[in-house]
Amino acid sequence: MTPMLWNVLIWFVKCNVIYGGLLGTAAGMTLAERKVSAWMQYRHGPNRVGPWGLLQPIADGVKFFFKESLTPDGANKWLFRFAPAVAAIPAMLTIAVIPFGPAIPLPFGPFESTNFGVTDLDIGLMYLLSIGGLAIYGVILGGWASNSKFSLLGGLRASAQMISYELTLILSILAVVAISGTLSLRGVVEAQPDFFEWNIFHQPLAFILFSIAAFAETNRHPFDFAECEPELVSGFHTEYSSMRFALFALGEYCAMVVMACLWTTLFLGGYKVPFWADAPWYFCVVAFLAKTSLFLFLYLWVRWTLPRFRFDQLMGLGWKVFLPLALANLFLTGAAVSFGVDLW
Amino acid sequence: MVIVRRKELSLREKLYLPEIARGLSITFRKLFEKKITRQYPEEPLPTNEVTRGQPRLVVKDDGNIACVSCGMCEIACPAYAITIDGGETDRTIEREPVRFDIDMLRCILCGFCEEACPKDAIFMSNELELADYTRSALVYDINKLKRPKSALQKRIDYVYRLNNRWRKSSSTR
Repeated sequence: MTPMLWNVLIWFVKCNVIYGGLLGTAAGMTLAERKVSAWMQYRHGPNRVGPWGLLQPIADGVKFFFKESLTPDGANKWLFRFAPAVAAIPAMLTIAVIPFGPAIPLPFGPFESTNFGVTDLDIGLMYLLSIGGLAIYGVILGGWASNSKFSLLGGLRASAQMISYELTLILSILAVVAISGTLSLRGVVEAQPDFFEWNIFHQPLAFILFSIAAFAETNRHPFDFAECEPELVSGFHTEYSSMRFALFALGEYCAMVVMACLWTTLFLGGYKVPFWADAPWYFCVVAFLAKTSLFLFLYLWVRWTLPRFRFDQLMGLGWKVFLPLALANLFLTGAAVSFGVDLW
Repeated sequence: MVIVRRKELSLREKLYLPEIARGLSITFRKLFEKKITRQYPEEPLPTNEVTRGQPRLVVKDDGNIACVSCGMCEIACPAYAITIDGGETDRTIEREPVRFDIDMLRCILCGFCEEACPKDAIFMSNELELADYTRSALVYDINKLKRPKSALQKRIDYVYRLNNRWRKSSSTR
């Protein structure tokens, strides 16, 4: 086989592993959410399908496929059908730039090794943020096309919230970019080789701001105003049923997984194993997955602990507290980097 | 007029994050606490002799039911759930039911039949589960209602104790 064919084969395998892993994790998160919520409320959670209820996501998926897919009268039919896809696809695209592990040695073929990750763009972070930002179109279109007050309000809230918090998110990321000196995610990981070099110690404020903005950005509790059920029934997906509804959920969970990966990569040293510089690649991947699951658990943990904010509180917090803090942090970091001062 | 004064928040509380951490630590501890849900089909409700489940006919040790088809329970039943057709028998009691149906969908588990029975033939068992695919399957006939005396012994003892509670001795047994 020619090297090009080998390239295609390697790429094919990597894509399948990573996208399969993403969808599997998203499905697992639906189960984990129900399990964790149950455990925190002295319940057992789903435990009937398969051992410990592990096959529950499959049962849910089958059920979704067999449900009737309703399109309400007066809905904009094409946008209504288009919106779930727009909500689900960006999260699946953005996973492409996440580095899951270091170079994996290949035992055969013309190449010695391949990086664990679909691709490694020089502007990976920009790609991730710009494509990830498209997900909001799915929410707005879905809310608008449903021809329902609740959906429309949910979509409006989602757009206002995501745009406000995207600022904080990007500004906190920029501080990390400033000290790493690169927009490539693999470059960011390589810039934090040792445990004490992790960005969480260099940029504690950016870390906190990013963590909070990530909740708002993925529409998760305590900021899930797009589907605030006591006020808006179910927000932007009130009118959705069947697999279209499932696509919205899938998009949300995929976005959570990507956000957790990004959190790990930016602040927790990505695939680096703490205190073991030359760890073999499989330990690196395990370390990455462990750190990512930590944040995924945090998502669930916070959801079942905190009550929802009020919408004006959310906007006030975003614009009056987080944005100035993020700007000040970026300013300080920028000044420190350009004058060559080591803040740490 | 009621004046509600808001409690002034301390700096620690205004910062949110320490209080959030406190909340998180509470929910994390709850993760490992004992679950209080009962896993029903595997772990049924505990029953005892006071449990008033579905009525059942006692089969005496000689293999016959004690019922003489007197119809007292049929009259006592407030939901008209019991239907009895009497017939003759060669046994000394001379009468026995040829048909004894209880419509379990009508039965309200009140226990009046048990009280009315002069021959101690019908008792409330501890059987509580009642589900089937058709209505006709839930009209229990005499064969479905038969239970050996040993299965109902605790309830029988309890009812005797209850009925004889004002007597000096419970020798009527």
